[in-house]
Amino acid sequence: MEGKIIVVTSGKGGVGKTTATASIGAALALEGNRVAIVDMDIGLRNLDVVMGLENRIVFNIVDVVKQRCKIEQAAIRDRRIENLFLIPASQSDNKDVLTPAGVERVAKELRENFDYVIMDSPAGIERGFENSVVSASEALVVCTPDVSAVRDADRVIGLLYSRSLNPKLIVNRVEPSRVARGEMLSHEDVLEVLSIEMAGIVPMDEQVLISTNTGTPLVLQKDSKAGQAFVRIAKRLNGQKDLPIEVPTYKTSMWSKISKTFGLN
Amino acid sequence: MINFENTVPVKLKGAGKGFWITLDPSHPEEVLISEIDKLLRKLKHLAVNADIILDVGNDPDTKSPETKDQQHKDLFQRIKIHLDKNFDLGNITASPVKRSIPTERIRQRDLSRGWNHHSSDVLMLRGRVRSGQKINAKKHLVITGDVNPGAEIIAGGDVIVLGRISGKVHSGFPDNKDTIIFALEFNPTQVKIGRVSAAGSEDGAGGKPEFACVENNRIIVKDYMKASPFRRMPWPEAI
Repeated sequence: MEGKIIVVTSGKGGVGKTTATASIGAALALEGNRVAIVDMDIGLRNLDVVMGLENRIVFNIVDVVKQRCKIEQAAIRDRRIENLFLIPASQSDNKDVLTPAGVERVAKELRENFDYVIMDSPAGIERGFENSVVSASEALVVCTPDVSAVRDADRVIGLLYSRSLNPKLIVNRVEPSRVARGEMLSHEDVLEVLSIEMAGIVPMDEQVLISTNTGTPLVLQKDSKAGQAFVRIAKRLNGQKDLPIEVPTYKTSMWSKISKTFGLN
Repeated sequence: MINFENTVPVKLKGAGKGFWITLDPSHPEEVLISEIDKLLRKLKHLAVNADIILDVGNDPDTKSPETKDQQHKDLFQRIKIHLDKNFDLGNITASPVKRSIPTERIRQRDLSRGWNHHSSDVLMLRGRVRSGQKINAKKHLVITGDVNPGAEIIAGGDVIVLGRISGKVHSGFPDNKDTIIFALEFNPTQVKIGRVSAAGSEDGAGGKPEFACVENNRIIVKDYMKASPFRRMPWPEAI
């Protein structure tokens, strides 16, 4: 069976594409799939750091596309999670060294060798974005609840639709306490503007910073709310479509728990 | 080559059992009569007992209709007498008067089926207009869906949005300031009607249908249910 290629994109930078890619990829591998994570952010390589595989890079995606090496040579096997591979970006080139046609050829080969290929798209909607989405069969749009991120996500969704991709939305970094105070857009506000299928809601989590800096997979930390949210997104992508989307809530006090149980409020 | 400038003074064509003779009254009477004689002589026995409808035509001169009518009647009588004297014709009658359709009937027609054979210039779209998308409509534009922030809409006529406008809208492009912009939720970042433009305000009306129009060279936004610009129109009109 041919594997799926999922592109993770957002338009705006710094909304958590790379974290989402690494986490969803790791979670899919934990589910027993053979997963390749591809860093398409040529020139601004990050994914290897987030995954803690920086010191093992020999070849990268540019070498694969330029046929200087085979996919097996460039793919780095993760030691903690079985069946998880990273194909890193090149740090010395820029996005124009790759062409959509070249990426498509490599993507065909990747599809034959893996169950899931997750492409981490760079920010922007130029060549790098084009290279990332050219061979994708599914798309995930990451968006934080700010007005500017929503604007960019909206644009990217339009571009994905024009390529006949039906993107799913991940609302990242939701802070329920601030939503409750009205300081932040809620996931409903975001969804109202973007109106696409929801893949999941990821709460703000301080663990993310620690885990990206130390290069430990977020999904292996059982106490990380964000990690668990990504696990649920991965399960939904992996076929458990009826897994409900968990909305992070603020109400943690004893009284609200009681009133919730009794159907008050 | 056909000469469109100088029309022939007399035209003759078959009409039922007789002939329809059309005259151009701008030519002098002698010319008209001699031309008719020439034609009828050529017809020889075909003209015998033939009924003649004599159409003294329309004079392009700007005379008052009454005097014109009288002149045409006189001309008709003179030519009739002349023809009766010189030819062996049947009945000579004047052309039936073309009645103009009364306004009443035009209204009725418009009310009942004015739009049946109407081909429209209206562009109607369904769905969400996203950031970065630009829609250009030659005339009126109807969108059933939302217009997101960052989207741009330009129409030669009115813009009707059955949803929320949050983007940039321009109606009456390039300079028609009699157009309107309507939305169920009117909250654009920028509006332009004709050549008049305005920046959108932060606070929306909160779910009330509104429309923008130009008054005294300024764009103002009104409650649609209270000040609909179309309510004044007495009957529906196809656009």
